[in-house]
This record gives sequence, structure tokens and C-alpha cells, in this order.
Amino acid sequence: MFKDLNPILHSQLRLAVVSILISVKEAEFTYLREKTDATAGNLSVQINKLKEAGYIDVSKSFKDNYPQTICRITPLGVQAFEEYVRDLQTYLNIKK
Amino acid sequence: MEQEKEFTSQESLALITKMINKTRRDYLDSGLSALLWGSVITICSLATFVNYKLNWRVLDYIWFLTIAAVVPQIIIAIREGKNRKHRAYEDDLMGGIWISFGISVFLLSYILSVYNVSEQAPLYLMLYGVPTFATGYARRFKPMLIGGVACWVLAIVSHYTPYPYSMLCIAVAAQVAWFIPGLIIRKCYLKAKEQHV
Repeated sequence: MFKDLNPILHSQLRLAVVSILISVKEAEFTYLREKTDATAGNLSVQINKLKEAGYIDVSKSFKDNYPQTICRITPLGVQAFEEYVRDLQTYLNIKK
Repeated sequence: MEQEKEFTSQESLALITKMINKTRRDYLDSGLSALLWGSVITICSLATFVNYKLNWRVLDYIWFLTIAAVVPQIIIAIREGKNRKHRAYEDDLMGGIWISFGISVFLLSYILSVYNVSEQAPLYLMLYGVPTFATGYARRFKPMLIGGVACWVLAIVSHYTPYPYSMLCIAVAAQVAWFIPGLIIRKCYLKAKEQHV
């Protein structure tokens, strides 16, 4: 049924991450974990998948001697998200 | 949240909405800045009003408290920046608006003192309304929208109010525009913080 939906985004956790990143300029890994209630390991794997697809940018640095991972959505990610929502609307027969 | 659970298009849309709403409900500010300036401006204007009768020399310099308040403001801004786990799109815009407001207020104070303008309250109140309304508008935060409009209404009221009573208009504006919204933001911030602990 959902074969046409973008498989990268059609996953609960990845979609949740992209939905958060579309609403903010940038977010820390800890913030994403807090909002999605995901485990650090699982979230890390899904973030890597989104990064490999070119949908998000991930930068790593240090904050108060602790590692800090910051995620931002890329223009490609925005485009993919918009297409995904359009496809969903088509499935649901929602007309703009 | 599970990794690859099958879900329907309705569930997808519901998840998108839920996540977007979760970020919208986040309070980026601790409310301390609004409380600080709401308190400082209220104290200064009330002290000026009271001093009209008392005529204490020391209270003539009460407005220098606004310069001293810049120090805790910087500390608050640094701390909020450090604790921030995400940045919203409007953050830079808001920062720019409030910095330009601060510069404009100090420039206005200088110009008014040079030209010895007696009726100053309407000009300050008009200026106070700009960043307050802009913040309320950008963040869809009604108390600050009301506060901004209140500043402009009080600017008109103060024009017809003789000194020192016009100082009361400034005190009311500081409460409505900053202190009360600050209390609301603080309450929401602490509540959100409690939920995350």
C-alpha cells in the first residue's frame, strides 16, 4: 500500500526526527532523544541513515567537555519531507 | 519509539503533527529577562514618581539602574544559550529586534537629555511597544501581543497625563508588557523543565 512512500522517511523514528528538524533551525541529539523517547543507540542508527540519505547534517563538537551532536535538516531533507507529506495527502485524498 | 514499525498514512500524519506541536510547546526562554526588565522599569518609574514628593537626591539617579541591569541580562542570555538544546528559526530575529531596541532606548535617552524634552514618557512607551508586540507576534504569545498594544495605548494616555503621573503609565506598561508575560513564561518553563527531569 505504501510502496510509493519514501522508505527513508516512512519509519516512525526517522519521520519523528525529520518532523522535529523541519520545525527548528537545529537540535541537539539529547533534544531529539527527549522528544522521541527513543534509546540513544536506536536514535543514533536512524540519524546515520538520514545523514547517509543527505536529509540531515550532523556536526559534532564539545560543550563543557562533553561531546555534543547537533542535527540540522538539509534542503534535500526539506524537499523529501514536503514530497512525503504530499504523497500522504494523496493517499488520504486530502485536497489543498 | 520503535525502529521500523509498520504504520498507516493517518498514523504518519498524526506523528508529524505531534512532533511539530511538541517543538512548538517548548519554551526557549526562562522568562528571567522579561521579569528582570519588568521589575527594573517598574522600580525606576515608581521611584521617580515617589521622588516628585520626596525630592531625594539619590533617587534622581535611579534610571542608572537600567545600565546596571545589563550585567545580569548578559549573564541570563549566556546561561540560556548554554542550556538551550535547540534553536528556533526566529531566535536570531528576536535577538536582533531586542538588541536594536536596547540601542534605540539608550540613543533616545541621550537625545532627549540633549534637547531637554520634558514629555518623555510617550516616546519611551511607543518604543517599548515595538519589540514586545514583535515578540508576541512571532512567537504567537498573546500576553506579549497584549503588552505591546498596552504600551501604545499607554503612550497616548501618558501624553494627556501630567508629570509625575505619566511615570505610572510607564510602571503599568512594564508590568503588562514584561513582568506579567515573564511570570507566565517562567511558569511554563519550570513546568516543562519538571516534566523532562
